[in-house]
Amino acid sequence: MRLGMHGEAGQKSTPDSWTIGGKILTSRFFLGTGRFPSPAVMLQALQASGAEVITFAVRRVNLDEVADDSILQHLPEGTLTYLPNTSGANNADEAVRIARLARAAGLGDWIKVEISADARTLLPDPVETLKATERLVKEGFTVLPYTSDDPILCRYLAEAGASAVMPGGAPIGTGLGILNPYNLGLIAEQSPVPVIVDAGLGSAKDAVQAMELGAAAVLANTPVAKAGDPVAMAEAMSLAIRAGRLARLAGRIPELPYASASSMEAGKLSSFAADAAWMEAAQG
Amino acid sequence: MRWRKYRKGSFGMKKLDFSLYVITAENYHPGKTMEEVMREALYGGADIVQLRHKTAKESELLEKARLLRGLTREFGVPFIVNDYPQLAIEADADGVHVGQEDHGLREARELLGPDRIVGVSTHSLDQAMAAEDGGADYIGVGPVYPTGTKPGRPAVTLNYVRQAARHVRIPWVAIGGIHLGNAQEVLDAGATRLCAVSAIVGSEDPAAVCRSLKAMISSSVSGAGEAEIMLNGGRHRTGSMTLQQLVEEKGLTGRRIVAEADGTIVPREEWSGLRLRSGMTVELVHFVGGG
Repeated sequence: MRLGMHGEAGQKSTPDSWTIGGKILTSRFFLGTGRFPSPAVMLQALQASGAEVITFAVRRVNLDEVADDSILQHLPEGTLTYLPNTSGANNADEAVRIARLARAAGLGDWIKVEISADARTLLPDPVETLKATERLVKEGFTVLPYTSDDPILCRYLAEAGASAVMPGGAPIGTGLGILNPYNLGLIAEQSPVPVIVDAGLGSAKDAVQAMELGAAAVLANTPVAKAGDPVAMAEAMSLAIRAGRLARLAGRIPELPYASASSMEAGKLSSFAADAAWMEAAQG
Repeated sequence: MRWRKYRKGSFGMKKLDFSLYVITAENYHPGKTMEEVMREALYGGADIVQLRHKTAKESELLEKARLLRGLTREFGVPFIVNDYPQLAIEADADGVHVGQEDHGLREARELLGPDRIVGVSTHSLDQAMAAEDGGADYIGVGPVYPTGTKPGRPAVTLNYVRQAARHVRIPWVAIGGIHLGNAQEVLDAGATRLCAVSAIVGSEDPAAVCRSLKAMISSSVSGAGEAEIMLNGGRHRTGSMTLQQLVEEKGLTGRRIVAEADGTIVPREEWSGLRLRSGMTVELVHFVGGG
């Protein structure tokens, strides 16, 4: 398979498409919509990212605010796949309730299960996440749970009918990158459903790493929205995701403990000084 | 409303606009004629009348129907015949009311055509939905309380009234054992139309009872400023009668929001049918930026 970067970055001419819940996607970048400096910047970043799936949250309408602070009014209609999350839920019941509210808005049946049981780390509650996934799958949702980077839990989630699993690299918004590449690699290797690395990434290098570890996609919000230049970072992440994906498909070299020269040994003009001295001593 | 599909353009009696439904029951007023009693009820404000007489012969019934047809026409209110679609046509009634017997609604509709009213008695939300889907113009919701006019039928309680208030989209009237002493709690449960039988026709002064019931209905229905609900986590006093009005009151018309009342999502098309009641918990949510 050849995946050259034909033309401009972000152009969707790649045959490397993939599928979630029957939906064919060409971009491997899911963009979160929170914390951008303004809706206008968010929109430009969205464009620069090439993302086809965007996430958002369900909240009470602010009744004291006259202006419409809904995110949807700013988005182009009909081109995006919406992935609302259940953030704010502390257990499966609350997540199911939020998921139903989100679906009632009439923008599809995808739902990112996000259940935090701890305010300091916002780490996902594995037990409630699995329960909510089971219930929402039964209710006909396309369920993408945000989960700990635990290979066994990810397997249970896939068995429960999750359409993808979304292990976190690090706690939400920390920018710490991928804290346990071993686990993520294992999840990617064994998962029967696409693995989307979600949460905790800091910059483009983390996106490359996620993709090289075998992730199908990356979900990022804070590293883009809070970057010095969110639009430029959106493009950087997009390129990084493509770079990491290409590298993964290309097949990286094995890691070795010592050097392995790029040119052949025969015909070289001299030896390393240290080696020559050693040989002299040996002959002497 | 649903009935519009039956009658394109001109609206006659089919424009079902009533709040106090009175049904005849001659056994409750010995010594007074049906005409006297119903005239008093109409004076008192009854705005739809049904002839019900389960034991009369058809010829006798037709005579009564013609009499009531004339009387209701004087007051300009719709006249409905219980159970006999053919007789309703012969007496030029505005419609017929049927029970839950097999195919009652369908057969009545076939006989009466699209322009006349067909009402259906229902005793559960399932029956209400079936009647709605079957093209009923209105339904009866009851018996709310045990009643002498329908002995043996278990009361459906205020629970079904609350369900109807939330889910039924065609006009519906609470019926069964309703009198001045309990009408308020039926209205509080969400009813906007009441039907009383013995409480009216069996009273010494049917006109006075009708006036009192009408007053209760209108003050309940237009009980502006009286509902205190929990809205998005805060106490909120509102003059809005329905969820739709609340959304308008909050300047949210046309916004892509989702509404939940007492823990249940309310589809947009049901907002105008959902009456706000004190103590109700309403959540209005939408999408905001998030990861």
